[in-house]
Amino acid sequence: MTRRTVPTLLLTLFAMIVLPLVAQAQGDRLVVSLSSDPTSLFLPRASDRTAHNASLPLYDSLIWINDDLELEPALAESWEISEDGTEYVFHLRRGVTFHNGEPFTAASVVATWETGSDASNDYANFFTAASLVEAIDDYTVRFTTPEPNATFLTTLAFSWGMVPPAYIAEVGLDGFAQAPVGTGAFRFVSRTAGDRILMEANPDYWRAGYPRVAELEFRVIPDASTRMAAVQTGEIHIANRLSPDQAMALERAPGVEVVSYLNDRAYYVGFKNVGAGAGTPLEDPRVRQALNYGSDRFGIINAIFSGQAEPIPGFIIEGNLGYDAATMTPFPYDPERARELLTEAGYPDGFEISMGCPADGYVNINEVCLALQRTLGDIGVEVNVEFRTTNSFWSQPQYGAVGAMFVDSWSSAIGEALPRLEGALVPGNYYTAWEDERFAALVEEITLTVDRDARAALYREMHELMRDDPPFIYLYQPTIFEAVNERVQDYAPRAAEEYYLFQVSLD
Amino acid sequence: MLRFAVRRVLESVLLMLGVLVLVFFLVRLTGDPVSLIVPMDAPTAQREALREIMGLNDPLPVQFWGFMSGAVRGDLGSSLRRRGQANLDIILERLPATVQLALSALAFAVLVAVPLGLAGGMRPGTAVDRLARAVGLAGQTIPSFWLGMLLIVLFAVTLRWLPSFGRDGPASLVLPAVALGFAGMGQLVRLTRSAVLDVRRADYVRTANAKGMSALRVSLRHVLPNVAIPIVSVLGIQFTYLLGGSVYIEVVFAWPGLGSLLENAIRDADFPLVQAITVFISLFAISIHLLTDLAYGMLDPRLRRA
Repeated sequence: MTRRTVPTLLLTLFAMIVLPLVAQAQGDRLVVSLSSDPTSLFLPRASDRTAHNASLPLYDSLIWINDDLELEPALAESWEISEDGTEYVFHLRRGVTFHNGEPFTAASVVATWETGSDASNDYANFFTAASLVEAIDDYTVRFTTPEPNATFLTTLAFSWGMVPPAYIAEVGLDGFAQAPVGTGAFRFVSRTAGDRILMEANPDYWRAGYPRVAELEFRVIPDASTRMAAVQTGEIHIANRLSPDQAMALERAPGVEVVSYLNDRAYYVGFKNVGAGAGTPLEDPRVRQALNYGSDRFGIINAIFSGQAEPIPGFIIEGNLGYDAATMTPFPYDPERARELLTEAGYPDGFEISMGCPADGYVNINEVCLALQRTLGDIGVEVNVEFRTTNSFWSQPQYGAVGAMFVDSWSSAIGEALPRLEGALVPGNYYTAWEDERFAALVEEITLTVDRDARAALYREMHELMRDDPPFIYLYQPTIFEAVNERVQDYAPRAAEEYYLFQVSLD
Repeated sequence: MLRFAVRRVLESVLLMLGVLVLVFFLVRLTGDPVSLIVPMDAPTAQREALREIMGLNDPLPVQFWGFMSGAVRGDLGSSLRRRGQANLDIILERLPATVQLALSALAFAVLVAVPLGLAGGMRPGTAVDRLARAVGLAGQTIPSFWLGMLLIVLFAVTLRWLPSFGRDGPASLVLPAVALGFAGMGQLVRLTRSAVLDVRRADYVRTANAKGMSALRVSLRHVLPNVAIPIVSVLGIQFTYLLGGSVYIEVVFAWPGLGSLLENAIRDADFPLVQAITVFISLFAISIHLLTDLAYGMLDPRLRRA
């Protein structure tokens, strides 16, 4: 009997395992993975892209940036901008109600501004961009900005999810974050922390015919390999943030399609002319050009990213306003030219310099830092790589904790390079470590230029300036890989990894 | 006995204080959480305002006093990221998932390890003994997160028998419980087997065999009760290990428990939440050890003098 006991136990266990219990994603429920548990579903506190994406289906703003990156009316049917570019008057759509039945009116817009501007919000700066929001009548609102602001409308479209004032007054901001209410295509149903967020179609949605699925479920799956497995089994419909290798493996998987697109994120090595960078050879523009010629960005892309990234010509990259593929080309890899420039600058034998690197802060970033060390070593520049934990790397203004150069990246969600230009080149901003009045003045001019074509021309001018006198080594923009179930239709993620799901349907 | 108990309790309190101090200062060595919370282009004034609201501008001793005085009153503070939520509430929301997973992993480990170790120990050198030794070795050498991925590929992707992730009823519990319990199972197989090897040479076992008792009866009546003591004492330690050690497994299987919460909190630099989870798990572990020590003390008078 002893001999039988063990096999019997093992068989029993096996039978328990073998029960065919796999839950397939349900018929008309779209299931989308999230790589982390959203900190909040209240947009001003949705502090990363994952939280932002999970919040978007609940809300609408006054305007919307469509798939062609053009501004379209949403909860506002039309708008006018004053001559001096500091006043915006919006005419609101009538008959729109919040999920709780509250009518959407000018008072809701004012309340959205007031709650969003609360200093405890992560994105308070997106709301304080307006110095005043006032209701002219029930369906007309006037916004005032302290000065002309080129990206005000895109900021409005991106982050001003309209909220119902009476409900907020009743439950408070913290209560609202627990059970959010908007006018969006989906209504909040429930949330299990760390696990899932369930939403259902808003039957009164103002966009006729949308949304196109009955339910929307977000599932939190932190590990990319697990997301990859779950899209193969059909448990989820959309798996985001996959590695190139995982995407390649999924190319052959039945029932799964791989989606890839260039991310609007510029990776670069920043030079410092403050702190540890002051007084170093980096102050000579020829040296900075030499470092650009001497960085083998093509080799890095091929060796580290299996070719799945694009070299960038500067901070204005593919998909950005003002980008021109014909005239904007990346620095070629030309070590000879690099050595010549170093000799001209008085460093024929190169020099030694420190470079900070946010350890594991981005995909493959450690390898990129070490590859840069090697490739710059070939032109005689001895780079001492200083790895820092991400938190300490970004902890001090002007990258005070790291060396004379640093590796970082900057994304943009508005189809323009302005956020990274402003953040990295305007003195006084937290991460500006290269201070040059010419750059700052041109960025300021872009910020104040509301006309799109004029702004595009300024971006091209900016590119030229940053090419001749580079404050960065321009590296690459990565390709984003996602996998979707073949039933998914009309899924169109944006270059900033942002997606709107009201258009998505399941076959 | 009273002096022994008082000493053990005091030692546990000191240990807990040590944990509180260590956790508080270690998380603060990692940098400024505000820089990870706000967008990169947030103005300096906004950063300052948020730091003020979050109490990060207070001098360290003030922050430390706030943390300690709260902790001893059972107030573990509130999260930086999940604004307005008390850490204790966040933890208690996730605790059932972790306890469920840990208990299932333990059940799996015991159900496989004890019969296998018993069978192997009773018949050393036979095929079943070789199996027991192989399983014991595998359990202690295969990393659990790697095993987890293998299980997903085999049972979820290839065979489609079980879900690959999440907490959706009993089926979803199988793979993470096996992956988490596997290491403990290895340890238990080896422990059971070696304990059985010792016991089976004892006089009372030889007597039972000589009486003509069946091998099964000897195993169950005489061997098992005598090897149960070391097994049960190891189980308590295993359980605390499983509660705290499930971080990888919870992440791999997207299991919404304390482990994945801790991973998330560390990545978000949510200091108060990291502190609270660590304190909570430590308190649990220290309490279990204290109770075990006190129980030993009651059972074995020699320990009271040690």
